Amino acid sequence: MEILILAAKSAIAVMLLIAAGAKLSDPHSFAAAVRLFVPLRTPPRLVRIGALGIALLELALGAASLSSPAASWLNAVIFGLACVFVIVSVAGFAFHRGRACLCFGALSRREFDTWSIVRSVIIAVGAVVGMLDAPSASVQVGPALRVVLLIAGLLLAVVASTAARALAIAAAPTRPTAR
Amino acid sequence: MRIPLFVAVAQWALLLALSLLVIVMYRQLGHAFSTRRPAGELGPPVGSSAAGFDYMRVSDGALQRFEPGGGMPVLLAFVEPSCQACEKLVAAVGAVARAGDLSGLRVLLLMSDPPSYLQISEVFRSCSLEIGRITTRATVVAYKATATPLLVAIDGQGFVRSAGPAIEADEVRAFRQACLLTPAATLTVVPAGPRTDRHEAADPVVGSE
Repeated sequence: MEILILAAKSAIAVMLLIAAGAKLSDPHSFAAAVRLFVPLRTPPRLVRIGALGIALLELALGAASLSSPAASWLNAVIFGLACVFVIVSVAGFAFHRGRACLCFGALSRREFDTWSIVRSVIIAVGAVVGMLDAPSASVQVGPALRVVLLIAGLLLAVVASTAARALAIAAAPTRPTAR
Repeated sequence: MRIPLFVAVAQWALLLALSLLVIVMYRQLGHAFSTRRPAGELGPPVGSSAAGFDYMRVSDGALQRFEPGGGMPVLLAFVEPSCQACEKLVAAVGAVARAGDLSGLRVLLLMSDPPSYLQISEVFRSCSLEIGRITTRATVVAYKATATPLLVAIDGQGFVRSAGPAIEADEVRAFRQACLLTPAATLTVVPAGPRTDRHEAADPVVGSE
């Protein structure tokens, strides 16, 4: 059970870092997905800032969860975020079925469908498992290891961003530009 | 020094995630190399007059004349059944057409492969759009269709509005928009990246099967 809890915690942190890195590679595209859930009159600049904020929040939470596993309050925050994912996927399924959610930027072309709800529920269940008490000896990480984990986490986000950018080169539509 | 169990588990999770991402990038790199082609090499210049040409209608073998202009915008697609990227484009054009997004313009698929090659591709076989076979090398030269797939958007006045490689439905829609431009507007389509198949358009001679 201990392994399961720690694996769930690690997996959620890694997933957040990949999602954040992929979103940060093309925040404009993610902003288009965010626009689906905000009032039409919201200024585009505000939507872009919101999209960037979401990506940075995921990055911060993923990095913090990976480098500070003993901080139990982080588990609750991540569970809250997972609940938001479930709400968004249900709302996306209800109102924007078939539209790309860009939850992992260009890394995934998943759309709002039944599976997106199932996936977000699985993430929420993972967050619940990560909230369970693990022996303190297993999660007490010294400062040096914290730094190592933090660097590894940020490196993962950079790699995810690079991979998303590489995929976007092939996936991006040919854009007509006036001259 | 004893390493906490979380670190051991987390390092495996990180290793797994990094491996997956590296595989994604490696595959993408392979795709980029297999489809690499210098940009700007394909298609007639934007703003130039589209050339007329003869072609053989594949459905009944009748010789036809294509004359651009006359008020009807045209989307020309240079494709080959033997080219994998072309299959993707034909499928995308078919999907966009079925969605009703190509209404108001003529779509003509042009190939230089013999008509019997249609049998090797399910996508081409089941395509309901008009398919023509190029009858002279001059057409390939006039449209600079030296590699496929190539899309050319021609407006109702017979001017080229955009030209370049395409595969995805979104790209087809972008070309459709270019077709419908007013004569006053000048557009160029900036390809998102080199992506044409290395398959070269063969020197076509009708009846050479």
